[in-house]
Amino acid sequence: MAATRASVLVDEHDEARAGPPARSWRRARAVRSQPVTPRLELSAVAKTFGPTTRGGPTVEALAPTTLTVADGEVVTLLGPSGCGKTTLLRMIAGLEQPTSGTIAIEGAPPASARREKRIGFVPQSPALLPWRSVRANAQLLLDLNGRRRPPTSAPSVDRLLEEVGLSDFADAAPHELSGGMQQRVGLVRAFALGAPLLLMDEPFAALDEMTRADMRHLLIHLCEPLKTSVVFVTHSIAEAAFLSDRVAVMSPRPGSVVDVVDVPFPHPRQAVLEDTEEFFHLTTRLRETLHAGSRR
Amino acid sequence: MRFLRSVAAPVVGVAVFAIVWELLVQLLDVRRFVLLAPSAIAQEFLDQPSFYLTNTAVTGRHMAIGLSLSLAVALVAGALMAAWRFVEDAAQPVLILILVTPWVAYMTSVVIWLGFGEQPIIFMVAFTSFPVFVFGVVGGLKSADPATRELFASVDARRWEVLWRLRLPSALPSIFTTLRFALGLGLAAAYFSEGSALQIDGLGAIGRRAALDQTSGAEVLWTTIACSAALGIAGLMAISAAERWLLRWHASQR
Repeated sequence: MAATRASVLVDEHDEARAGPPARSWRRARAVRSQPVTPRLELSAVAKTFGPTTRGGPTVEALAPTTLTVADGEVVTLLGPSGCGKTTLLRMIAGLEQPTSGTIAIEGAPPASARREKRIGFVPQSPALLPWRSVRANAQLLLDLNGRRRPPTSAPSVDRLLEEVGLSDFADAAPHELSGGMQQRVGLVRAFALGAPLLLMDEPFAALDEMTRADMRHLLIHLCEPLKTSVVFVTHSIAEAAFLSDRVAVMSPRPGSVVDVVDVPFPHPRQAVLEDTEEFFHLTTRLRETLHAGSRR
Repeated sequence: MRFLRSVAAPVVGVAVFAIVWELLVQLLDVRRFVLLAPSAIAQEFLDQPSFYLTNTAVTGRHMAIGLSLSLAVALVAGALMAAWRFVEDAAQPVLILILVTPWVAYMTSVVIWLGFGEQPIIFMVAFTSFPVFVFGVVGGLKSADPATRELFASVDARRWEVLWRLRLPSALPSIFTTLRFALGLGLAAAYFSEGSALQIDGLGAIGRRAALDQTSGAEVLWTTIACSAALGIAGLMAISAAERWLLRWHASQR
Protein backbone atom coordinates (compact mmCIF):
# COMPACT_ATOMS: atom_id res chain seq x y z
CA MET A 1 0.00 0.00 0.00
CA ALA A 2 2.75 2.36 0.92
CA ALA A 3 4.55 1.45 -2.29
CA THR A 4 1.61 2.42 -4.54
CA ARG A 5 1.21 5.62 -2.58
CA ALA A 6 4.83 6.41 -3.18
CA SER A 7 4.60 5.87 -6.94
CA VAL A 8 1.49 8.03 -7.17
CA LEU A 9 3.41 10.65 -5.31
CA VAL A 10 6.11 10.87 -7.92
CA ASP A 11 3.52 11.49 -10.67
CA GLU A 12 1.77 14.15 -8.68
CA HIS A 13 5.04 15.73 -7.88
CA ASP A 14 6.07 16.11 -11.52
CA GLU A 15 2.69 17.34 -12.64
CA ALA A 16 2.44 19.96 -9.98
CA ARG A 17 5.90 21.22 -10.76
CA ALA A 18 4.96 21.78 -14.40
CA GLY A 19 3.03 25.00 -13.80
CA PRO A 20 3.84 28.04 -11.68
CA PRO A 21 2.65 27.65 -8.06
CA ALA A 22 0.00 30.38 -8.23
CA ARG A 23 -1.76 28.80 -11.20
CA SER A 24 -1.80 25.30 -9.80
CA TRP A 25 -3.29 26.65 -6.60
CA ARG A 26 -6.27 28.14 -8.44
CA ARG A 27 -6.67 24.93 -10.42
CA ALA A 28 -6.65 22.93 -7.22
CA ARG A 29 -9.37 25.09 -5.73
CA ALA A 30 -11.53 24.62 -8.78
CA VAL A 31 -11.28 20.83 -8.87
CA ARG A 32 -10.33 19.84 -5.37
CA SER A 33 -11.85 16.37 -5.58
CA GLN A 34 -9.30 15.28 -8.17
CA PRO A 35 -5.90 14.33 -6.77
CA VAL A 36 -4.00 16.81 -8.89
CA THR A 37 -2.19 18.76 -6.21
CA PRO A 38 -0.52 16.95 -3.34
CA ARG A 39 -1.54 17.93 0.18
CA LEU A 40 1.89 19.32 0.85
CA GLU A 41 4.75 19.91 -1.50
CA LEU A 42 8.22 21.14 -0.62
CA SER A 43 10.49 22.05 -3.54
CA ALA A 44 14.14 22.68 -2.72
CA VAL A 45 13.24 24.42 0.52
CA ALA A 46 16.33 25.78 2.27
CA LYS A 47 16.98 27.97 5.26
CA THR A 48 20.07 29.95 6.19
CA PHE A 49 20.33 31.92 9.43
CA GLY A 50 22.53 34.96 9.74
CA PRO A 51 24.90 36.60 9.32
CA THR A 52 23.94 38.48 12.46
CA THR A 53 24.43 42.24 12.76
CA ARG A 54 27.36 41.66 15.11
CA GLY A 55 29.21 39.76 12.44
CA GLY A 56 28.21 36.26 13.54
CA PRO A 57 28.64 33.39 11.09
CA THR A 58 26.08 32.27 8.55
CA VAL A 59 24.49 28.97 9.56
CA GLU A 60 22.94 26.69 7.02
CA ALA A 61 20.04 25.30 9.07
CA LEU A 62 18.50 23.32 6.24
CA ALA A 63 19.99 22.28 2.89
CA PRO A 64 17.58 22.30 -0.10
CA THR A 65 14.89 19.72 0.72
CA THR A 66 12.24 18.30 -1.59
CA LEU A 67 9.40 16.26 -0.13
CA THR A 68 5.77 15.52 -0.90
CA VAL A 69 2.98 14.45 1.44
CA ALA A 70 -0.13 12.84 -0.03
CA ASP A 71 -3.72 12.97 1.24
CA GLY A 72 -4.06 11.08 4.50
CA GLU A 73 -0.37 10.32 4.67
CA VAL A 74 1.65 10.55 7.87
CA VAL A 75 5.25 11.62 7.27
CA THR A 76 7.72 11.83 10.11
CA LEU A 77 10.79 14.04 10.20
CA LEU A 78 13.18 11.99 12.30
CA GLY A 79 16.54 13.26 13.44
CA PRO A 80 18.74 14.46 16.28
CA SER A 81 18.44 17.99 17.62
CA GLY A 82 19.98 20.60 15.33
CA CYS A 83 19.08 18.76 12.13
CA GLY A 84 16.62 21.46 11.06
CA LYS A 85 13.47 19.40 11.50
CA THR A 86 11.70 21.95 13.66
CA THR A 87 12.84 24.77 11.35
CA LEU A 88 11.36 22.86 8.42
CA LEU A 89 8.07 22.37 10.27
CA ARG A 90 7.91 26.03 11.23
CA MET A 91 8.44 27.01 7.60
CA ILE A 92 5.60 24.71 6.52
CA ALA A 93 3.41 26.37 9.18
CA GLY A 94 4.34 29.76 7.76
CA LEU A 95 5.90 30.82 11.06
CA GLU A 96 9.26 31.22 9.35
CA GLN A 97 10.27 32.16 5.79
CA PRO A 98 12.47 29.83 3.73
CA THR A 99 15.61 31.42 2.29
CA SER A 100 14.92 29.69 -1.02
CA GLY A 101 12.55 27.13 -2.51
CA THR A 102 8.75 26.93 -2.37
CA ILE A 103 6.21 25.36 -0.04
CA ALA A 104 2.68 24.59 -1.23
CA ILE A 105 -0.18 23.37 0.95
CA GLU A 106 -2.90 22.12 -1.39
CA GLY A 107 -1.21 24.33 -3.95
CA ALA A 108 -1.28 27.47 -1.82
CA PRO A 109 1.62 29.13 0.00
CA PRO A 110 1.73 28.68 3.80
CA ALA A 111 0.61 32.26 4.43
CA SER A 112 -2.72 31.74 2.67
CA ALA A 113 -3.13 28.23 4.13
CA ARG A 114 -2.77 29.84 7.55
CA ARG A 115 -5.30 32.52 6.70
CA GLU A 116 -7.78 29.86 5.62
CA LYS A 117 -7.09 27.79 8.74
CA ARG A 118 -5.88 24.76 6.78
CA ILE A 119 -3.11 24.01 9.26
CA GLY A 120 -3.63 22.35 12.62
CA PHE A 121 -0.55 23.06 14.71
CA VAL A 122 0.48 21.02 17.76
CA PRO A 123 3.36 22.74 19.56
CA GLN A 124 5.95 21.03 21.73
CA SER A 125 4.40 22.30 24.96
CA PRO A 126 0.63 21.86 25.32
CA ALA A 127 0.27 25.69 25.33
CA LEU A 128 -3.13 25.60 27.02
CA LEU A 129 -4.66 28.86 28.20
CA PRO A 130 -4.89 28.51 32.00
CA TRP A 131 -7.99 30.73 32.22
CA ARG A 132 -9.96 28.55 29.82
CA SER A 133 -11.56 25.22 30.71
CA VAL A 134 -10.40 22.05 28.96
CA ARG A 135 -13.36 22.21 26.57
CA ALA A 136 -12.80 25.90 25.80
CA ASN A 137 -9.13 25.19 25.18
CA ALA A 138 -10.01 22.39 22.77
CA GLN A 139 -12.31 24.87 21.03
CA LEU A 140 -9.62 27.57 20.76
CA LEU A 141 -8.50 27.18 17.15
CA LEU A 142 -12.12 27.17 15.98
CA ASP A 143 -12.81 30.37 17.95
CA LEU A 144 -9.81 32.30 16.69
CA ASN A 145 -10.16 34.03 13.35
CA GLY A 146 -13.75 32.80 13.69
CA ARG A 147 -15.13 33.95 10.35
CA ARG A 148 -12.88 31.46 8.61
CA ARG A 149 -14.10 27.92 8.77
CA PRO A 150 -11.78 25.10 7.81
CA PRO A 151 -12.82 23.31 4.63
CA THR A 152 -13.28 19.81 6.01
CA SER A 153 -15.72 18.70 8.63
CA ALA A 154 -14.26 17.41 11.88
CA PRO A 155 -15.76 15.51 14.81
CA SER A 156 -17.11 17.82 17.51
CA VAL A 157 -14.92 18.86 20.42
CA ASP A 158 -17.01 16.78 22.84
CA ARG A 159 -16.74 13.70 20.60
CA LEU A 160 -12.97 14.10 20.43
CA LEU A 161 -12.65 14.67 24.18
CA GLU A 162 -14.58 11.45 24.69
CA GLU A 163 -12.33 9.74 22.17
CA VAL A 164 -9.20 10.66 24.15
CA GLY A 165 -10.84 9.82 27.48
CA LEU A 166 -11.24 13.36 28.79
CA SER A 167 -15.06 13.66 28.87
CA ASP A 168 -15.05 13.85 32.65
CA PHE A 169 -12.51 16.66 32.58
CA ALA A 170 -14.20 18.87 29.97
CA ASP A 171 -15.00 21.54 32.56
CA ALA A 172 -11.77 21.15 34.53
CA ALA A 173 -8.99 23.72 34.49
CA PRO A 174 -5.80 22.78 32.59
CA HIS A 175 -3.67 22.80 35.76
CA GLU A 176 -5.80 19.97 37.14
CA LEU A 177 -4.57 17.65 34.36
CA SER A 178 -1.38 15.61 34.14
CA GLY A 179 1.18 16.36 31.43
CA GLY A 180 -0.09 13.56 29.19
CA MET A 181 -3.69 14.67 29.59
CA GLN A 182 -2.73 18.26 28.76
CA GLN A 183 -1.06 17.15 25.56
CA ARG A 184 -4.19 15.12 24.69
CA VAL A 185 -6.14 18.40 24.89
CA GLY A 186 -3.52 19.83 22.52
CA LEU A 187 -4.24 17.00 20.06
CA VAL A 188 -8.01 17.46 20.35
CA ARG A 189 -7.56 21.20 19.75
CA ALA A 190 -5.75 20.48 16.47
CA PHE A 191 -8.11 17.71 15.31
CA ALA A 192 -11.24 19.75 16.16
CA LEU A 193 -10.13 22.39 13.67
CA GLY A 194 -10.66 19.89 10.86
CA ALA A 195 -7.63 21.17 8.99
CA PRO A 196 -6.42 19.00 6.08
CA LEU A 197 -2.82 19.23 7.33
CA LEU A 198 -1.63 18.68 10.88
CA LEU A 199 1.86 19.80 11.90
CA MET A 200 3.21 18.33 15.13
CA ASP A 201 6.42 19.55 16.69
CA GLU A 202 7.67 16.80 19.04
CA PRO A 203 4.38 16.92 20.94
CA PHE A 204 5.28 14.00 23.20
CA ALA A 205 8.90 14.95 23.88
CA ALA A 206 8.27 16.11 27.44
CA LEU A 207 6.35 12.99 28.48
CA ASP A 208 7.62 9.87 30.20
CA GLU A 209 8.24 6.75 28.08
CA MET A 210 5.03 4.93 29.07
CA THR A 211 2.78 7.94 28.50
CA ARG A 212 4.57 8.53 25.20
CA ALA A 213 3.67 5.05 23.97
CA ASP A 214 0.03 5.57 24.97
CA MET A 215 0.00 8.90 23.18
CA ARG A 216 1.25 7.53 19.85
CA HIS A 217 -1.34 4.75 19.99
CA LEU A 218 -4.00 7.37 20.67
CA LEU A 219 -2.75 9.60 17.86
CA ILE A 220 -2.95 6.84 15.24
CA HIS A 221 -6.44 6.01 16.53
CA LEU A 222 -7.48 9.64 15.93
CA CYS A 223 -5.71 9.91 12.57
CA GLU A 224 -6.81 6.77 10.78
CA PRO A 225 -10.54 7.43 10.32
CA LEU A 226 -9.95 11.00 9.15
CA LYS A 227 -8.07 11.51 5.92
CA THR A 228 -5.80 14.05 7.57
CA SER A 229 -2.23 14.43 6.42
CA VAL A 230 0.30 14.73 9.21
CA VAL A 231 3.87 15.97 9.36
CA PHE A 232 5.27 14.78 12.65
CA VAL A 233 8.61 15.93 14.01
CA THR A 234 10.32 13.60 16.47
CA HIS A 235 13.64 12.27 17.68
CA SER A 236 12.04 8.99 18.79
CA ILE A 237 12.63 6.07 16.42
CA ALA A 238 9.72 4.06 17.86
CA GLU A 239 7.36 6.97 17.37
CA ALA A 240 8.47 7.44 13.77
CA ALA A 241 8.17 3.72 12.95
CA PHE A 242 4.77 3.29 14.54
CA LEU A 243 3.03 6.41 13.26
CA SER A 244 4.38 6.99 9.78
CA ASP A 245 3.69 5.93 6.24
CA ARG A 246 7.11 7.33 5.42
CA VAL A 247 10.00 8.47 7.55
CA ALA A 248 12.28 11.27 6.38
CA VAL A 249 15.55 10.64 8.21
CA MET A 250 17.47 13.86 8.77
CA SER A 251 21.01 14.65 9.76
CA PRO A 252 22.67 17.82 11.08
CA ARG A 253 25.35 20.22 9.79
CA PRO A 254 23.80 21.20 7.50
CA GLY A 255 20.31 19.89 8.25
CA SER A 256 19.12 17.74 5.39
CA VAL A 257 17.03 14.68 4.56
CA VAL A 258 19.47 11.77 4.08
CA ASP A 259 16.87 9.12 3.27
CA VAL A 260 13.11 8.61 3.01
CA VAL A 261 12.12 5.19 4.35
CA ASP A 262 8.79 3.57 3.45
CA VAL A 263 6.95 2.00 6.37
CA PRO A 264 5.29 -1.18 5.10
CA PHE A 265 2.89 -1.85 8.00
CA PRO A 266 -0.81 -1.95 7.09
CA HIS A 267 -3.52 0.17 8.68
CA PRO A 268 -5.20 0.14 11.17
CA ARG A 269 -2.13 -0.12 13.35
CA GLN A 270 -2.38 -1.75 16.75
CA ALA A 271 -0.16 -1.33 19.77
CA VAL A 272 1.02 -4.96 19.44
CA LEU A 273 2.78 -4.00 16.23
CA GLU A 274 5.60 -2.66 18.37
CA ASP A 275 6.37 -6.18 19.63
CA THR A 276 6.75 -7.75 16.18
CA GLU A 277 9.98 -8.72 14.49
CA GLU A 278 9.19 -6.52 11.45
CA PHE A 279 8.90 -3.51 13.71
CA PHE A 280 12.23 -4.34 15.28
CA HIS A 281 13.83 -4.64 11.82
CA LEU A 282 12.45 -1.28 10.77
CA THR A 283 13.63 0.50 13.91
CA THR A 284 17.06 -1.07 13.44
CA ARG A 285 17.19 0.17 9.88
CA LEU A 286 16.10 3.66 10.91
CA ARG A 287 18.76 3.72 13.63
CA GLU A 288 21.45 2.68 11.15
CA THR A 289 20.33 5.36 8.70
CA LEU A 290 20.42 7.95 11.48
CA HIS A 291 23.93 6.94 12.50
CA ALA A 292 25.18 6.82 8.92
CA GLY A 293 23.75 10.31 8.42
CA SER A 294 25.42 11.81 11.45
CA ARG A 295 28.80 10.22 10.54
CA ARG A 296 28.92 11.91 7.14
CA MET B 1 -5.00 26.33 63.85
CA ARG B 2 -5.39 27.82 60.42
CA PHE B 3 -8.00 30.27 61.70
CA LEU B 4 -5.62 31.25 64.47
CA ARG B 5 -2.91 32.06 61.97
CA SER B 6 -4.97 33.85 59.35
CA VAL B 7 -7.19 35.96 61.64
CA ALA B 8 -5.77 36.00 65.14
CA ALA B 9 -2.16 36.66 64.19
CA PRO B 10 -2.75 39.97 62.36
CA VAL B 11 -5.09 41.14 65.15
CA VAL B 12 -2.43 40.40 67.76
CA GLY B 13 0.17 42.21 65.66
CA VAL B 14 -1.91 45.37 65.32
CA ALA B 15 -2.91 45.28 69.01
CA VAL B 16 0.70 45.02 70.17
CA PHE B 17 1.65 47.87 67.83
CA ALA B 18 -1.14 50.10 69.23
CA ILE B 19 -0.25 49.32 72.86
CA VAL B 20 3.45 50.08 72.36
CA TRP B 21 2.52 53.30 70.56
CA GLU B 22 0.12 54.34 73.34
CA LEU B 23 2.68 53.57 76.06
CA LEU B 24 5.47 55.46 74.31
CA VAL B 25 3.33 58.56 73.92
CA GLN B 26 2.19 58.43 77.58
CA LEU B 27 5.55 57.61 79.14
CA LEU B 28 7.71 59.94 77.05
CA ASP B 29 5.04 62.67 77.07
CA VAL B 30 5.36 63.21 73.28
CA ARG B 31 3.90 66.47 71.99
CA ARG B 32 0.50 66.02 70.34
CA PHE B 33 1.56 67.29 66.91
CA VAL B 34 4.54 64.96 66.81
CA LEU B 35 2.59 61.84 67.62
CA LEU B 36 -0.92 61.46 68.98
CA ALA B 37 -1.87 58.44 71.06
CA PRO B 38 -4.18 55.95 69.37
CA SER B 39 -6.73 56.38 72.15
CA ALA B 40 -6.91 60.12 71.42
CA ILE B 41 -7.34 59.42 67.68
CA ALA B 42 -10.16 56.98 68.41
CA GLN B 43 -11.77 59.55 70.73
CA GLU B 44 -11.59 62.27 68.05
CA PHE B 45 -13.06 59.95 65.41
CA LEU B 46 -15.93 58.88 67.67
CA ASP B 47 -16.72 62.50 68.51
CA GLN B 48 -17.69 63.25 64.92
CA PRO B 49 -17.72 60.01 62.90
CA SER B 50 -19.88 61.26 60.02
CA PHE B 51 -17.48 64.18 59.40
CA TYR B 52 -14.54 61.80 59.00
CA LEU B 53 -16.46 59.20 57.03
CA THR B 54 -17.71 61.80 54.54
CA ASN B 55 -14.25 63.19 54.01
CA THR B 56 -12.74 59.71 53.68
CA ALA B 57 -15.35 58.97 51.00
CA VAL B 58 -14.37 62.14 49.13
CA THR B 59 -10.68 61.19 49.16
CA GLY B 60 -11.59 57.62 48.22
CA ARG B 61 -13.53 58.92 45.24
CA HIS B 62 -10.65 61.13 44.05
CA MET B 63 -8.30 58.18 44.33
CA ALA B 64 -10.62 55.71 42.60
CA ILE B 65 -11.44 58.02 39.66
CA GLY B 66 -7.79 59.02 39.23
CA LEU B 67 -6.50 55.45 39.31
CA SER B 68 -9.23 54.17 36.96
CA LEU B 69 -8.52 56.90 34.41
CA SER B 70 -4.81 56.24 34.66
CA LEU B 71 -5.22 52.49 34.23
CA ALA B 72 -7.56 52.92 31.26
CA VAL B 73 -5.11 55.20 29.42
CA ALA B 74 -2.19 52.96 30.45
CA LEU B 75 -3.91 49.92 28.91
CA VAL B 76 -4.21 51.68 25.56
CA ALA B 77 -0.70 53.13 25.72
CA GLY B 78 0.72 49.81 26.91
CA ALA B 79 -0.96 47.90 24.09
CA LEU B 80 0.53 50.30 21.55
CA MET B 81 3.95 50.01 23.16
CA ALA B 82 3.81 46.22 23.27
CA ALA B 83 2.75 46.09 19.60
CA TRP B 84 5.32 48.55 18.21
CA ARG B 85 8.87 48.57 19.43
CA PHE B 86 9.36 52.11 18.12
CA VAL B 87 6.51 53.46 20.23
CA GLU B 88 7.94 51.72 23.28
CA ASP B 89 11.43 53.12 22.75
CA ALA B 90 9.99 56.59 22.19
CA ALA B 91 7.72 56.48 25.26
CA GLN B 92 10.23 54.99 27.68
CA PRO B 93 12.26 58.18 28.46
CA VAL B 94 9.09 60.26 28.85
CA LEU B 95 7.62 57.80 31.33
CA ILE B 96 10.84 57.66 33.31
CA LEU B 97 10.86 61.47 33.40
CA ILE B 98 7.34 61.48 34.86
CA LEU B 99 8.33 58.76 37.32
CA VAL B 100 11.43 60.47 38.73
CA THR B 101 10.28 64.12 38.76
CA PRO B 102 8.94 64.92 42.27
CA TRP B 103 5.27 65.64 41.70
CA VAL B 104 5.08 67.72 44.90
CA ALA B 105 7.32 70.27 43.17
CA TYR B 106 5.04 71.06 40.23
CA MET B 107 1.78 70.63 42.13
CA THR B 108 1.27 74.42 42.36
CA SER B 109 1.64 74.80 38.60
CA VAL B 110 -0.98 72.11 38.01
CA VAL B 111 -3.41 73.92 40.32
CA ILE B 112 -2.83 77.20 38.45
CA TRP B 113 -3.31 75.37 35.14
CA LEU B 114 -6.48 73.42 36.01
CA GLY B 115 -7.90 75.80 38.62
CA PHE B 116 -9.09 75.04 42.13
CA GLY B 117 -11.43 72.10 42.53
CA GLU B 118 -11.38 68.41 41.79
CA GLN B 119 -9.62 68.47 38.41
CA PRO B 120 -6.07 69.06 39.66
CA ILE B 121 -6.54 66.38 42.33
CA ILE B 122 -7.73 63.72 39.91
CA PHE B 123 -5.08 64.77 37.41
CA MET B 124 -2.33 64.37 40.00
CA VAL B 125 -3.55 60.93 41.11
CA ALA B 126 -3.71 59.78 37.48
CA PHE B 127 -0.45 61.40 36.42
CA THR B 128 1.71 60.06 39.27
CA SER B 129 0.44 56.49 38.89
CA PHE B 130 0.54 56.48 35.08
CA PRO B 131 4.17 55.40 34.46
CA VAL B 132 3.88 52.59 37.00
CA PHE B 133 0.73 51.31 35.31
CA VAL B 134 2.26 51.50 31.83
CA PHE B 135 5.38 49.57 32.88
CA GLY B 136 3.15 46.93 34.49
CA VAL B 137 0.90 46.65 31.45
CA VAL B 138 3.75 46.47 28.91
CA GLY B 139 5.66 43.90 30.95
CA GLY B 140 2.51 41.84 31.40
CA LEU B 141 1.44 41.97 27.76
CA LYS B 142 4.91 40.84 26.69
CA SER B 143 4.91 37.93 29.13
CA ALA B 144 2.44 35.92 27.03
CA ASP B 145 3.73 32.39 26.38
CA PRO B 146 5.66 32.27 23.04
CA ALA B 147 4.36 28.78 22.16
CA THR B 148 0.79 29.98 22.59
CA ARG B 149 1.55 33.04 20.47
CA GLU B 150 2.71 30.74 17.66
CA LEU B 151 -0.43 28.65 18.08
CA PHE B 152 -2.48 31.82 17.61
CA ALA B 153 -0.36 32.72 14.57
CA SER B 154 -0.91 29.26 13.04
CA VAL B 155 -4.57 30.12 12.39
CA ASP B 156 -3.80 33.75 11.56
CA ALA B 157 -5.56 35.13 14.66
CA ARG B 158 -6.40 38.84 14.34
CA ARG B 159 -4.30 41.35 16.23
CA TRP B 160 -7.14 42.22 18.62
CA GLU B 161 -7.71 38.50 19.28
CA VAL B 162 -4.10 38.08 20.33
CA LEU B 163 -4.47 41.13 22.56
CA TRP B 164 -7.84 40.29 24.06
CA ARG B 165 -7.68 36.52 24.32
CA LEU B 166 -3.98 36.02 25.06
CA ARG B 167 -1.96 39.11 25.97
CA LEU B 168 -4.43 40.84 28.26
CA PRO B 169 -5.23 37.80 30.45
CA SER B 170 -1.48 37.08 30.60
CA ALA B 171 -0.93 40.66 31.78
CA LEU B 172 -3.46 40.52 34.62
CA PRO B 173 -1.09 39.20 37.32
CA SER B 174 1.42 41.97 36.69
CA ILE B 175 -1.36 44.59 36.44
CA PHE B 176 -2.60 43.58 39.90
CA THR B 177 0.89 43.81 41.36
CA THR B 178 1.26 47.29 39.87
CA LEU B 179 -2.16 48.28 41.16
CA ARG B 180 -0.96 47.77 44.74
CA PHE B 181 1.97 50.13 44.24
CA ALA B 182 -0.18 52.64 42.37
CA LEU B 183 -2.70 52.67 45.21
CA GLY B 184 -0.09 53.98 47.65
CA LEU B 185 1.08 56.60 45.14
CA GLY B 186 -2.48 57.63 44.31
CA LEU B 187 -3.49 57.97 47.94
CA ALA B 188 -0.50 60.20 48.71
CA ALA B 189 -1.17 62.30 45.61
CA ALA B 190 -4.86 62.65 46.52
CA TYR B 191 -4.15 63.67 50.12
CA PHE B 192 -1.51 66.22 49.23
CA SER B 193 -3.38 67.65 46.23
CA GLU B 194 -6.56 68.16 48.25
CA GLY B 195 -4.54 70.32 50.61
CA SER B 196 -2.91 72.29 47.79
CA ALA B 197 -6.01 72.75 45.66
CA LEU B 198 -7.80 74.66 48.44
CA GLN B 199 -10.58 72.10 48.51
CA ILE B 200 -13.18 72.21 51.29
CA ASP B 201 -13.72 68.43 51.47
CA GLY B 202 -11.31 65.55 51.58
CA LEU B 203 -8.93 64.20 54.22
CA GLY B 204 -6.06 66.18 52.70
CA ALA B 205 -8.00 69.44 52.81
CA ILE B 206 -9.03 69.18 56.49
CA GLY B 207 -5.61 67.80 57.37
CA ARG B 208 -3.87 70.82 55.78
CA ARG B 209 -6.13 73.27 57.66
CA ALA B 210 -5.64 71.34 60.93
CA ALA B 211 -1.86 71.53 60.58
CA LEU B 212 -2.12 75.33 60.89
CA ASP B 213 -4.46 75.18 63.92
CA GLN B 214 -2.38 75.28 67.12
CA THR B 215 -5.26 74.62 69.55
CA SER B 216 -7.07 71.47 68.39
CA GLY B 217 -5.32 70.77 65.08
CA ALA B 218 -3.29 67.76 66.22
CA GLU B 219 -6.37 65.63 66.90
CA VAL B 220 -7.86 66.38 63.45
CA LEU B 221 -4.54 65.96 61.63
CA TRP B 222 -3.78 62.59 63.17
CA THR B 223 -7.33 61.34 62.63
CA THR B 224 -7.09 62.19 58.91
CA ILE B 225 -3.83 60.24 58.85
CA ALA B 226 -5.53 57.25 60.45
CA CYS B 227 -8.48 57.55 58.04
CA SER B 228 -6.08 57.66 55.06
CA ALA B 229 -4.39 54.49 56.29
CA ALA B 230 -7.78 52.80 56.70
CA LEU B 231 -8.72 53.92 53.18
CA GLY B 232 -5.51 52.40 51.82
CA ILE B 233 -6.19 49.11 53.58
CA ALA B 234 -9.76 49.05 52.25
CA GLY B 235 -8.40 49.69 48.76
CA LEU B 236 -5.90 46.85 49.05
CA MET B 237 -8.66 44.51 50.25
CA ALA B 238 -10.81 45.47 47.26
CA ILE B 239 -7.87 44.78 44.94
CA SER B 240 -7.26 41.40 46.56
CA ALA B 241 -10.92 40.46 46.19
CA ALA B 242 -10.91 41.44 42.52
CA GLU B 243 -7.69 39.50 42.03
CA ARG B 244 -9.08 36.36 43.62
CA TRP B 245 -12.02 36.55 41.25
CA LEU B 246 -10.24 37.49 38.03
CA LEU B 247 -7.13 35.38 38.59
CA ARG B 248 -8.79 32.27 40.00
CA TRP B 249 -6.98 30.34 37.25
CA HIS B 250 -3.56 31.67 38.21
CA ALA B 251 -0.95 29.74 40.20
CA SER B 252 -0.75 32.56 42.79
CA GLN B 253 -4.38 32.00 43.80
CA ARG B 254 -4.21 28.26 44.35
